[in-house]
Amino acid sequence: MTWLFVAALLTVATLFYVFYIPGRLFLGPEKTRVGYLRERKDAVYENLRDLNFEYQAGKVPDSDYQQMKSSLQDEAAAILAEIARLEPRNGS
Amino acid sequence: MAELGSFALLLALALSVYSFLAGLAALIYQKPAAQPAGRAHTPPEDIGFAALLRRGSERLAETSRRAGVASFGAVLLASIILVICAFQDDFSIAYIFHHSNRDLPGPYKFAVLWSGQEGSLLFWSLLLTGYAFVLRLRYKTDPRLFAYASVVLAGVQIFFLSLLNFAAHPFAIMQGNIPADGNGLNPLLQYPEMVIHPPMLYLGYVGFTVPFAFALGALIMKYPGEKWIHITRRWTMVTWGLLTCGIFLGAHWAYSVLGWGGYWGWDPVENASLMPWLTGTAFLHSVMMQEKRGMLKVWNMWLVFATFWLAILGTFLTRSGIISSVHAFAQSSIGDWFAWFLVITFGVFLFFFIKNRKSLESEHKLESLASRESSFLFNNLLFVLLCFTVLWGTWFPKISELVQGNKVTVGAPFYNRVAIPVALLLLVLTAIGPLLAWRKTSLESLKRNFLWPTVGAIIVAILLMATPESWGSIFGLKPWRDISYFYSLMAISLSVLVILTVASEFYRGGKVISNHTGQGMFASMVQLTHRNTRRYGGYIVHFGAVVVIIGLAGAAFNQDQEKEMGYGDKMSIGPYTLLCRSYTEDESPNYFSQWAMIDVFKHGKPIGSMTPVRRFYKASQQTSTIPDIRSTLNEDLYLVFEGVNQDNGHPIIKAHLNPLVMWIWMGVWIMLIGTGLALIPNAQVAVRVPATTRLERAQPAPVATGD
Repeated sequence: MTWLFVAALLTVATLFYVFYIPGRLFLGPEKTRVGYLRERKDAVYENLRDLNFEYQAGKVPDSDYQQMKSSLQDEAAAILAEIARLEPRNGS
Repeated sequence: MAELGSFALLLALALSVYSFLAGLAALIYQKPAAQPAGRAHTPPEDIGFAALLRRGSERLAETSRRAGVASFGAVLLASIILVICAFQDDFSIAYIFHHSNRDLPGPYKFAVLWSGQEGSLLFWSLLLTGYAFVLRLRYKTDPRLFAYASVVLAGVQIFFLSLLNFAAHPFAIMQGNIPADGNGLNPLLQYPEMVIHPPMLYLGYVGFTVPFAFALGALIMKYPGEKWIHITRRWTMVTWGLLTCGIFLGAHWAYSVLGWGGYWGWDPVENASLMPWLTGTAFLHSVMMQEKRGMLKVWNMWLVFATFWLAILGTFLTRSGIISSVHAFAQSSIGDWFAWFLVITFGVFLFFFIKNRKSLESEHKLESLASRESSFLFNNLLFVLLCFTVLWGTWFPKISELVQGNKVTVGAPFYNRVAIPVALLLLVLTAIGPLLAWRKTSLESLKRNFLWPTVGAIIVAILLMATPESWGSIFGLKPWRDISYFYSLMAISLSVLVILTVASEFYRGGKVISNHTGQGMFASMVQLTHRNTRRYGGYIVHFGAVVVIIGLAGAAFNQDQEKEMGYGDKMSIGPYTLLCRSYTEDESPNYFSQWAMIDVFKHGKPIGSMTPVRRFYKASQQTSTIPDIRSTLNEDLYLVFEGVNQDNGHPIIKAHLNPLVMWIWMGVWIMLIGTGLALIPNAQVAVRVPATTRLERAQPAPVATGD
């Protein structure tokens, strides 16, 4: 019958662990469009960094590099513009 | 002990059910999230039970998470109890009686946990709750997303724990008298690699549940952005690495134990492990397009689902007995459980996909066929084509039985007809992909990057054809003699192309860093790898993969001979001469063994002796061969004790000469090292982007909100 005692002990310990929640809970920040745009901005910056590196490594010809850099910078600028437009409202 | 084990399993099921239901209720009735700017929100009517749930949803979610954490403890306890019972030779438990015996060596008693149906399902549940345990402890990364993933995982846990409690109970008690000894472990499993092969494979199989849980969670909550991909990236890579390790350990076990001289037989169980690996590999590539360019979101979602689904399908194949296999578990009723689970998971996924597919719209379109995106796309299509071929070949015997009434078996030629050309095309893409730029690549760029690697690959191809055949192995290769030779030549030449493009990537990158820092080339390459571990770790994985392919290409030149060998008898194979010095029998507590001692000469010079063995296991009354393998970079000499001539007692020895096999195992190690490197966090590098100067003329970003 030892197993019955161990099983009862296990059940009590488990119930205590599951349902006894002292203190405040960690809920984390809510995900907003600005947060999402910041992630996109980081991705575009990383793409720019990769492009610069590949250009320096001689993998990308100058004409291709200028065209792709310009395109990525436009994308980054568009994202930054929207962050700037949304941030004052989100921050208030 | 058995009673406590049964109780632990029941407790784990109860905790999983609570974790699922409480988590689901908490997510349904959670407090509304902050709405994106500019959108009106109408609060729901705050009355009754729903209001109570809404107010306490956060605490309910926390109890759900904790129940999930505790379920791991309960399954761990059940697993420990089963292992203790195996070590205590507790044959009152049917599972221990069927899979162990008193004289079984200690490590194999530990492996009893996963050597039978019920135990392996318990082990599967242990790994699943273990993965979920880690996920639930790391919930602070993104509590809402993790809560969704935790509920999905709890749903999968319920399935496996229900199986254990109601259909395949590992603690079932023997009826009648308790036997004095057990039936013993399957002799084929009594091999050191078998102690680690199943855990690796299971870690891979089960691990893909985590990316699937995140993907389904992200789909259900219409998660904005690609952060869930960042979160699951490491999980996926670890899982992929473990599955790779598991598959090749299985191949090495088959090579070292089964005694047929090969490592891959396109057996349904082997195929079952390969299919999720193929879609998982495709996902690891295509996910980069989603991260970098916000593309292929729908495709990635389906790939993650397919990988998880195929892992479960593989388990269904091995458990249901629906398809014949040399190492499938016996036919049992749990096949129906798996079939229903497959249908339900597909239905749930399809429902949420149809409901929320608009949140998966791509942010960019494919701009050019000559771009890295398109190389990833073709790579994905080829992996999926290969997966479909394997799926079709695996199921064809069953389909033909249902349609025509007779079972048509599908052998290696069917798979090779598709797999080899597809693998060659994949090699081409592996060489081309890293050298293509994102968005588009000009002709000038193509010429600049491909010229020297292509010249190098052509030179190697010419050298292979021009060298004398007397050099053996792959030298003196004449592709016009046989299609297999042509494939080998292509595989090796394209592998060289990949190696050269990988080397050029390291060299060019290292040179840039060297120019900036003044460091030596090697130090610069190390720094380069540390700056982008995923990319350069990935290149090392590619390098390992082509080393494996070179090893596989050697199979076209395999030779074998079989001969009855009395004292002093000789046999020749390739440059080797084998001389039978002696043969005898032996006995240990676990088995009887017969073995021959063969002296080996290469080009007439003695190089050592080999001892192929044949064992007869007492408990299980089964026979097994232990081949002796002499491995070199050039070739493996593989000797098998096939049997004994009953008239004169002479051993029958089969000799295989298998070129380049060692390259396969070396390649796997390189792949695993590359995977490990890719898991190391990148060194931080400062970025300066003048994009802010363009703010004034910028339009709002054409990017999806995800909601």
